[in-house]
Amino acid sequence: MRLFKTLRLASRDYGHEWQMSACFVLALAAVLGPMLVLFGLKFGIVGGMLDQLIENPENREIRPVSSGRFDTEWFAAIRLRDDVAFLVPRTRSIAATVELNSDKVGRIVRAELIPSGIGDPLLPDDGPIPTGATQVVLSQQAASKLNVVAGDTVDGSVTRRFRGKRERVHLALTVAAVAPASAFARDGAFVDVRLVEAFEDYRDGRAVSAFGWEGTINDDPRSYPGFRLYAHSIYDVAALSRHLGEIGVDVRNRAADIELVMRMDRNLSAIYWAIAIIGLVGFSLSLGASLWANVDRKRKDLSVLRLVGFRTGDIMWFPVTQALYTAVLGWLLATAIYFAAAYAINDMLAEQLAAGQQVCKLLPQHFVLALTLTVGAAVIAAALAGWRSARIEPSDGLREL
Amino acid sequence: MNNVFQSRNKARTTVYHLRDVTRDRASEGVTFRLRVPSLQIAQGEKIALIGESGCGKSTLLDMLAFISQPSDIASFRFRPEQDKDAIDITRLWKKRQMNRLSELRKRHIGYVMQTGGLLPYLSVRENIALSRSVLGLGKDDTVESLAHELGIARHLDKLPETLSVGERQRVAIGRALSHQPSIVIADEPTASVDPFAAEKIMSLFIGLAEERNITVVVASHAWRHIKRLGLRRLAHHTHRSKDGRTTETVVNG
Repeated sequence: MRLFKTLRLASRDYGHEWQMSACFVLALAAVLGPMLVLFGLKFGIVGGMLDQLIENPENREIRPVSSGRFDTEWFAAIRLRDDVAFLVPRTRSIAATVELNSDKVGRIVRAELIPSGIGDPLLPDDGPIPTGATQVVLSQQAASKLNVVAGDTVDGSVTRRFRGKRERVHLALTVAAVAPASAFARDGAFVDVRLVEAFEDYRDGRAVSAFGWEGTINDDPRSYPGFRLYAHSIYDVAALSRHLGEIGVDVRNRAADIELVMRMDRNLSAIYWAIAIIGLVGFSLSLGASLWANVDRKRKDLSVLRLVGFRTGDIMWFPVTQALYTAVLGWLLATAIYFAAAYAINDMLAEQLAAGQQVCKLLPQHFVLALTLTVGAAVIAAALAGWRSARIEPSDGLREL
Repeated sequence: MNNVFQSRNKARTTVYHLRDVTRDRASEGVTFRLRVPSLQIAQGEKIALIGESGCGKSTLLDMLAFISQPSDIASFRFRPEQDKDAIDITRLWKKRQMNRLSELRKRHIGYVMQTGGLLPYLSVRENIALSRSVLGLGKDDTVESLAHELGIARHLDKLPETLSVGERQRVAIGRALSHQPSIVIADEPTASVDPFAAEKIMSLFIGLAEERNITVVVASHAWRHIKRLGLRRLAHHTHRSKDGRTTETVVNG
């Protein structure tokens, strides 16, 4: 009841001096608002870049620089590593094409064959992957040229020159799915490794017993000139590449890009924190100073309350209540400033951004954190000032003004 | 006149009983000392403390209102209720029982300041009712009838800033009386009002206190205004040490 009385009086005073109160709120928002925008930009830009890096499987890919000779044992050994997410052999690139034809269009599409399998990072996690020797997942471009959708059948054919004659074999391939546009930008077909091997064997003039294709018999152990290798995360790329280098495989990767963004994140974070800490200290000091000065200004009124019998403990709630109003209203205004600025910035750069991407972005917990800091600093400053003014003799407070 | 008072005092309770109470205050190298070898104020008595500003009148009033701590006390007893024992103020100060002191103040004492002391954000009505509301007293017509007697009834719903200085002082007197205290302390309540209004306000104030049998201690620099109102003038003399470093005021009564 006593506390309620103090709160009521403090609220009345705050409302009575609304111009002064508005100044305190504006002063608070003027510091907090830009800080939120600054943090939003840092979070949005670097966070977006990192997300893109992490989400984009291309950044996890490690490619051999030149063709080598990798046998099945080599693949088995590399697959055992923890940092390897996906590894399949590649055949010679010259042999890795297929001519596709569908009933619906009268044209032949030459598609690159991409050896694939379970866990292919280029294909959606929940979508079908080519299993079985006659399933394909077409790139979007190839699918639209052939005018086919998942479930359709396309004719795949390859040619060879064998014993002086030009030969061609056909294979009915089921379209298991159409890959998202981001997976492969050209005409391509994700297929099981065995199908790529079969086409290569056929081109080389070897017999492929699985499809009844004739040719010479060759039992030499197979070796592959290349591979498709993806590390588990962008952070594994450097170590995995180093390991490959140590065992004599020169590779290319996006480590430089990754390192650049990570360094930028570190640098921006350091700069941001420097600004944020300076800002926060300045913000706390300015908030504290203005609240302190306000309590000093009100010392006579507070002494009057003590004169009519308010207790010291009750008196402290007076500035604390008003500081809470200032903190919450200032925070609300700062949040409004932030949203206006963020909207303007994101709108301005919308054309250069992917859908849903934002340059200026904050999560709900960031606002909660800002509110907590503001209220904390305000309450501490006001409580200290209130305590100080409650400690001086009321007679001094009454007469010093 | 004095003799009449003294003979009547014996029948009444002593509200304040001070013995060897001092308060030192240092300012710009000069020590101001207020010394009260002995002071007794009886229930219902009207006391006037007359003197130039700076002689320590306010200091004494503040000590009587428990808002200023004496530097040294031999004995300081306060007996606001006749049917109860006197309260040892010395002990409360020593134990820093500020809440107990503010409890005594809000229950038994009304205080009129020289200027203002009204809360600018409360209406006249709420300002007068403040001392009642702190005590948790219910709403009745006390505030209205006081305002009527003080001639400020038409200002009840206004804010203090819209009132003249004299009107504000009337509001302050209303606030000091509305919770029906047994003692009212007034520090130069009419010093900032023109002499004509001052006389009017002062006689109004003393009249209201008289009706309610309230003990009054009032400080003023103008004896002429109030001597007709039948107040007992408290004897005091001020002297300065030869080196000018200490000023001592001694109050007895």
